[in-house]
Amino acid sequence: MAAAVVASTARWVRVRAGVVEAARLRCQLGGSRFGRLFLLPSAAGDVAQRRHVAHFTFHPDPENRKYGQTQKMNLFQSITSALDNSLAKDPTAVIFGEDVAFGGVFRCTVGLRDKYGKDRVFNTPLCEQGIVGFGIGVAVNGATAIAEIQFADYIFPAFDQIVNEAAKYRYRSGDLFNCGGLTIRAPWGCVGHGALYHSQCPEAFFAHCPGIKIVVPRSPFQAKGLLLSCIEDKNPCIFFEPKILYRAAVEQVPVEPYYIPLSQAEVLQEGSDVTLVAWGTQVHVIREVASMAREKLGVSCEVIDLKTILPWDIDTVCKSVAKTGRLMISHEAPLTGGFASEISSTVQEECFLNLEAPISRVCGYDTPFPHIFETFYIPDKWKCYDALRKMINY
Amino acid sequence: AGRVLLAARNFANDASFDIKKCDVHRLEDEPPTTAVLTREEGLKYYKIMQTVRRMELKADQLYKQKIIRGFCHLYDGQEACCVGLEAGINPTDHVITAYRAHGFTYTRGLPVREILAELTGRRGGCAKGKGGSMHMYAKNFYGGNGIVGAQGQIFETYNMAALWKLPCIFICENNRYGMGTSVERAAASTDYYKRGDFIPGIRVDGMDVLCVREATKFAAAYCRSGKGPMLMELQTYRYHGHSMSDPGVSYRTREEIQEVRSKSDPIMLLKDRMVNNNLASIEELKEIDVEVRKEIEDAAQFATADPEPPLEELGNHIYCREPPFEVRGANQWIKYKSVS
Repeated sequence: MAAAVVASTARWVRVRAGVVEAARLRCQLGGSRFGRLFLLPSAAGDVAQRRHVAHFTFHPDPENRKYGQTQKMNLFQSITSALDNSLAKDPTAVIFGEDVAFGGVFRCTVGLRDKYGKDRVFNTPLCEQGIVGFGIGVAVNGATAIAEIQFADYIFPAFDQIVNEAAKYRYRSGDLFNCGGLTIRAPWGCVGHGALYHSQCPEAFFAHCPGIKIVVPRSPFQAKGLLLSCIEDKNPCIFFEPKILYRAAVEQVPVEPYYIPLSQAEVLQEGSDVTLVAWGTQVHVIREVASMAREKLGVSCEVIDLKTILPWDIDTVCKSVAKTGRLMISHEAPLTGGFASEISSTVQEECFLNLEAPISRVCGYDTPFPHIFETFYIPDKWKCYDALRKMINY
Repeated sequence: AGRVLLAARNFANDASFDIKKCDVHRLEDEPPTTAVLTREEGLKYYKIMQTVRRMELKADQLYKQKIIRGFCHLYDGQEACCVGLEAGINPTDHVITAYRAHGFTYTRGLPVREILAELTGRRGGCAKGKGGSMHMYAKNFYGGNGIVGAQGQIFETYNMAALWKLPCIFICENNRYGMGTSVERAAASTDYYKRGDFIPGIRVDGMDVLCVREATKFAAAYCRSGKGPMLMELQTYRYHGHSMSDPGVSYRTREEIQEVRSKSDPIMLLKDRMVNNNLASIEELKEIDVEVRKEIEDAAQFATADPEPPLEELGNHIYCREPPFEVRGANQWIKYKSVS
């Protein structure tokens, strides 16, 4: 029996996920023959041929007309737009990294080299510590450096440069020098087939380092505004881009530059019973959990997108927990030492007497990010829903 | 002063010296084997080298008195390197070095009192007392850096510099020991000037300020002409141990140090040259010594008496231009406001 699929032009497409599923779905976008998003074989009982389906549904935000004319863009196109705006506005801005010249492995820099020249958009040798080290030098000399690390998993050779050099430059020189003009971009997070070294979320490693800022957007509109803010910000910033959203997330995004402030969390949905906090792709998972909770349990959830991991918006989260009394934080990164532990620790310090239940963290397991077990590993909506139920019934 | 003026008329204006030939790697030309030193230059180099020497010895003294704490890597013995280098480049060129940085900090223009105050961690220091020995900065001088991460990075840097033909001179001050390990025991090849492989290199006598100057001029001209980077190995020696916690004699003999001091001391070499070629008199140079000693004493006084930076400074300059936020102190009831 085929479940009905609601498809409408330029709105969200809903796909039912699940390992044991009797229904077969085919979806079409706008009635076009070429609009199939997730193709599933129509032969009955053919589980082996099923292609992996995403664990989340992307929820685009309503179109924001405050910043002028908008255009339909997916995540990588919104990044390209932000970079284009930056290079146009700032004559000292340069973009560099592995393979960025032809457009990048995720198409984030397509067309920029042709438009701005090979002196401003160029490839580096395969050397992450060199990319960041070079970026620090560019920034110290007053130019704007936008460095790309091809996958967040590869950022570790540059860890020393980021933590020991970039983060401390201003402090150790008594404000004589700084590398605030540096922004590092890296694709981040699970993608369905990434396995150990193409799926990691390393924000917790860097959260331990004062002097840098870490930002993770949830959508194309957010990404462009936040990336432009990172580039403008006079501190070294790391901008993690959820790679699974590069094509899957489509929204109307303003063509002109606009800025979304850093260190400000956003309450996406107000609620009174429990606070849910996440960032990046996971925001869409908890949004779905919130609607499940409303339907099945009659529970009203307040959904918060943290956006900036460091320095994080303590006030918004604590105010919310003071109101609801329950907090669940969810992220793909492993549980132990993940950023949820920092949030949890601070919230229990600030809101101890408001808490009705222990703070719940729904995260990845303490294992390397698995290949074949990805579906079991990630904190999907069922795990989140289960944790929420336990919190409500505490 | 009048006496000096009278005496000056009897001196030669300049003299020409033979300097040691440099070994070269992948180069057709070489730096010259003669150098001209004017009286004025000679006096200047002498004064600067003597200042660095006395400054380092004063730092040693202050460290032993526990007025300087933390890390301290002294530069005495290697003065010809920083002075010769500065003589071969322009003030608008950029210099960056590793932790043995006090000499370069001075030659790049910072006064002794700011250097010593930085070592003692006072607010008059060049990094407001927050950087310390290893993190001194000045205009066109980017420190002063620790080197734990710099392992293997140098080869990646050689690659990028050669690929993009960057006008960069890579300098190795080879003082024969890496901390406590002699170069023969640490390096498969001790011909460091050849280790740039595709990058041309020269090996220079680092105890002779003229040799360093001529080699630097040669290397700078090469880089400025757009031919790409170059490597310069300066063969030099440090009298102190690696840092203040290293006596410096467990991996080398006192005789060795004495030998270098008596035969190749850079300040002594310059002095002998100038006196023997009638560029200056011994009395004149002694007067310079007295001047330098006084300057260092005054600077040490300042460094000892200057107040430490206020505790509020602890949280400053972590980020730029944030609305001031609070940084937790040693316990949860102490908070510092971070201001940028």
